[in-house]
Amino acid sequence: MLNNVLTLTNLTKYYGKILALNNVSFSVPEGSVFGILGPNGSGKTTMLGIVMDILKPTSGSFTFYGQPGHANMRKQIGTLLETPNFYHYLSGERNLQIAAEIKGKGHDQVDEVLKKVDLLERKTSKFSTYSLGMKQRLAIASALLGGPKVLVFDEPTNGLDPVGISEIRTLIQRLALEGKTIIMASHMLDEVEKVCTHVAILKRGNLLTAGDVDEILVNDEIVEVSAANSLLLATVLKEMSGYNNIKQVDNDFHLLYPPAKADLEAINRYCFKKGVVLTYLRLKKKSLETKFLELTNQ
Amino acid sequence: MLSLLKIEWMKVKHYRTFWLLSLLYLISLYGINFIAYRIQDARPKKNDMANLLIGNPPFQFPEVWKTVSYMSSFMLFIPGLLIIISLTNEFSFKTHRQNIIDGWSRHEFIVVKMLLTLILAVVSTVAVFITAICFGLFEGGSDFSIENIEFIGYFFVQAISCTAVGLLFGLLFKRSGIAIGVFFLYVVVLENMLAGLLNKYVYNSGRFLPLETTDNLIPFPFLRNIVNPYLTVTDPLLLLVLSAVYLTIYYFICLKKFEVEDL
Repeated sequence: MLNNVLTLTNLTKYYGKILALNNVSFSVPEGSVFGILGPNGSGKTTMLGIVMDILKPTSGSFTFYGQPGHANMRKQIGTLLETPNFYHYLSGERNLQIAAEIKGKGHDQVDEVLKKVDLLERKTSKFSTYSLGMKQRLAIASALLGGPKVLVFDEPTNGLDPVGISEIRTLIQRLALEGKTIIMASHMLDEVEKVCTHVAILKRGNLLTAGDVDEILVNDEIVEVSAANSLLLATVLKEMSGYNNIKQVDNDFHLLYPPAKADLEAINRYCFKKGVVLTYLRLKKKSLETKFLELTNQ
Repeated sequence: MLSLLKIEWMKVKHYRTFWLLSLLYLISLYGINFIAYRIQDARPKKNDMANLLIGNPPFQFPEVWKTVSYMSSFMLFIPGLLIIISLTNEFSFKTHRQNIIDGWSRHEFIVVKMLLTLILAVVSTVAVFITAICFGLFEGGSDFSIENIEFIGYFFVQAISCTAVGLLFGLLFKRSGIAIGVFFLYVVVLENMLAGLLNKYVYNSGRFLPLETTDNLIPFPFLRNIVNPYLTVTDPLLLLVLSAVYLTIYYFICLKKFEVEDL
């Protein structure tokens, strides 16, 4: 049976009169890569801040493995929240030693995690001399200290270059394979789609939906076709069945299919039989971006 | 507790600003006493009239305990400043959040800072104790004596009040610039001004303001025979009790505020 690592119950948070989190409840199952998706200011960091006890909820509660939140519980969780927070005047290495000491772990792991994020050579440089990407990587290294079973990442690829982003993605996927539970907040849709098994979508503090990523971010398919004679193509396509919707974009036609229902071969054969030779035929996944905008514009 | 202090030590061990200020502070403790020493040393020593007015030489045992405690208390804004820097640094680096995220409880975080106020007060007191012995021995003319040594204890009370107020101001204002500014103005001018007004208009009650209370534990040590008749003497026991009450209030506010509010 799957245990829930984290369960939120009716979490509500007001900043003065501003409602940042409205009655949010969901559970994160053990072993999942749980994406929390939402535009900027949707309450992702507020929610994680409450879970980490740096913000106090106005009402509602949360549990870790069925227990109310507690400092010792946080020692077992690797967390990167919002921005990398380190002592500017200390080296990366010394900063991690402090984190390891607080977590009650030995200093011997410091080099190991620094190596994982490729910072070993700069470990004696002061934190203030690091680039944005290096700071972010140091924060990820700090979260990895002590090999926690649960990791919380808030915008983990913030400030990283494309190589760094893909490295972090690989790292997260590898951690997930090791059986770790990963909770990741992000406004980057492809990031969530590529690595997450579960997703919760927040908008202005409201939970729109939460659950399996395959169920929530189902991708509709779009088939783009065009032919020399667009008029004829239009009539032929209108007689064809199977798609939900048809749209003309310049000389192309976009056919909207439900997920995994588009069959390019059948379309091509059908048109040829009706006397239209296609000059262009392409299957496109409906972009997540569109899907996300649809979801959040409800 | 020891592991908490070890972490605080790791934070401060390689922080150059802290050590530079501490070093200058220790030098200044000696320096401010030296200035007072030079001034009183210019008195006419063989004039009986003058000696009658001045009383016992201020840097001889047992007067030296009073004198050095009094002079050194002018430097106490520095340990207050060190506490403010230590706390507001955490706020500006957001490491207070990170420490909690990494697994400290809010209680542990603020208790370590309170311990730091105690440690700075103890170190200051030890430094003043040594300074007093040095001046007493150097001045000569009397044997080593522990009469009046309670003033070193009073200095400790004054020192911990200063560091605790520093902690409170750091916590209230969060940003170092404003916290340091208000702290200095309050310690140097505002409270004295308020005390003066209260003393004049409200039954001499200004002397019971937070820092005045501890300040009055160590009265003006020079020209005793002249000023004594004009000074209101307050029972030290009353001042000590009141100091304890104020300290409790400072620490209570710090604890509650840090444990309850959003960080």
